[in-house]
Amino acid sequence: MSEQPAPWRLAILSESPADETALRVLVEAVLRAPVTWVTPSLRARGWPSVAQVMPAVIRHLHFNTDADGLVVVVDSDDSVTHTAEHDAPNYFHPRCRMCQLRAIHRQTTKKFPPAHGRARILRAIGVAVPAIEAWYLCGRDERVTEEAWVKGQETGARPYSRGELKWRVYATDRPSLVLETERALVEVARHRKDTRRLEHEFPGFAALAKDLRGWRREENS
Amino acid sequence: MAWCCLARRVGEHGGVIASVAFRNFKALRNAHLALAPFNLVIGPNGSGKTSLVQAMMRLRTLSALPLREPIPREAREVSNGPEITFRFLPPFEMTEAVLACESDVRCDLLQVTPADEGWPRLCERIQGMRSYVLDHREIANAARADEGDELASDGHNLAAVIARLQSQHSENYAAMRDELVRILPEYADIACAPGRDGLIELGLILKGGSERIVGDAISQGSLYLLALLALAFHPAPPTVLCIEEVDRGFHPRLLREVRDVLYRLSHPTSFGWKRDPVQVIATTHSPYLLDLFGDHPEEVVISAKHGTAATFSRLADRADLQDLLAEGTLGDMWYTGILGGVPEETHE
Ligand SMILES: [Zn+2]
Repeated sequence: MSEQPAPWRLAILSESPADETALRVLVEAVLRAPVTWVTPSLRARGWPSVAQVMPAVIRHLHFNTDADGLVVVVDSDDSVTHTAEHDAPNYFHPRCRMCQLRAIHRQTTKKFPPAHGRARILRAIGVAVPAIEAWYLCGRDERVTEEAWVKGQETGARPYSRGELKWRVYATDRPSLVLETERALVEVARHRKDTRRLEHEFPGFAALAKDLRGWRREENS
Repeated sequence: MAWCCLARRVGEHGGVIASVAFRNFKALRNAHLALAPFNLVIGPNGSGKTSLVQAMMRLRTLSALPLREPIPREAREVSNGPEITFRFLPPFEMTEAVLACESDVRCDLLQVTPADEGWPRLCERIQGMRSYVLDHREIANAARADEGDELASDGHNLAAVIARLQSQHSENYAAMRDELVRILPEYADIACAPGRDGLIELGLILKGGSERIVGDAISQGSLYLLALLALAFHPAPPTVLCIEEVDRGFHPRLLREVRDVLYRLSHPTSFGWKRDPVQVIATTHSPYLLDLFGDHPEEVVISAKHGTAATFSRLADRADLQDLLAEGTLGDMWYTGILGGVPEETHE
């Protein structure tokens, strides 16, 4: 059967319209399936606002919309970076944003009865280490990787600051929203056909991609 | 304390408008709004907040003219033109007023049914509706003493209004001054007095001395607060007060006081006042002001824009509101977009 699958209906909770524009491209690149986006766009005022509003956002999507899934991407800033050890069953690092957001999703959805023909809103969570501009530089500046940042955290010698990353992407430390969106789109276009390099160099993105691919397997089974 | 002199219309009902229904009026293609005694309207620009106020002011303008014989819809040249239907609060709940277009060039038809002996009394209340878009630069201006009857829509005659209050309604004036120095303790008194040119200057006396600051030397927040207080403590306030961007110029921590000044108008008995309530319609873009309405979601109106069409809804109509409020403040929820009433975006 070559029937076209029904499009995924997804929402993104992000910190700016520029981030959301870029994330839409990356999510579609991973899913390789048609996506329709829930409107109006969901927005949070940075960390910890994302964690605070996420339960209400999940509740709203679950009961008031027919969304299949929620994509959440936050910057790690200076928080603890998620590692493979955190993925162990029942492990939870209280200062890791990935662990925190996953726990919020788990705790919020388990309370809800099924609605709109589905048991729960799926989640795909990514953490950009230390900021989404690092993802934008992937494939352009090989010194910028999650590993480089984590090593810097361990040794106390940061390879770059978040401000430097922004400068490298936007060539100014006061980018307009238009410039931010344009630059974001240009940079993520490199990964539109193949996200493997971004996944390899940024496990915080790989986790997002794994979540998204998990959805597809769920649908096919 | 005796508040008898505050009241002009004691014994009558407060408020005027029960509901407004829009058809093809600007972005309001098909929208309905039941109005409460107090209404805080939130929503993106162009979603109908100002159109709502404009419609009410148009009703006021046209109701001052002699009523014309009804023209049935079939007999009008434009059949699908703008139409705004008003219903009224008791004792006028049986009356309906429709603003419509007679032809492409004549859009000033007011049809009232029934146009009976009650209409002149209702009309008087409609004439008492006012709309404000306060401007601190105008408020700071000196004003002619004979301009002090009621506050102008931009606030430019505030100095004269306060001077009139002081000379003719000293009790109201004293209460207003007490409220000002309570909210802004850096001031000791209000001092509006004629300047060299004979115009009345708006002035405030700083605490701990006799220094008087005048006109545009007064901070924006103080100017806006003075204007709101002058409205609230006036012996003859409007029947309906529409005020746009009511949070403008205020520190977030002062917004509770702003809300309370407006509540004095809409819920006077809560402040020990015996006078008619004023129906208040205020617009805002401030999540901090919205936060203050968590206990009264029935007072929050969300105006939303879908493409080129705008609609109104009441926050209290959301079944899951209490669950959402358990997770965060109204302002946070509004910002996320899950309440609606946020600007549309393009992602390309
Ligand atoms: Zn973790």
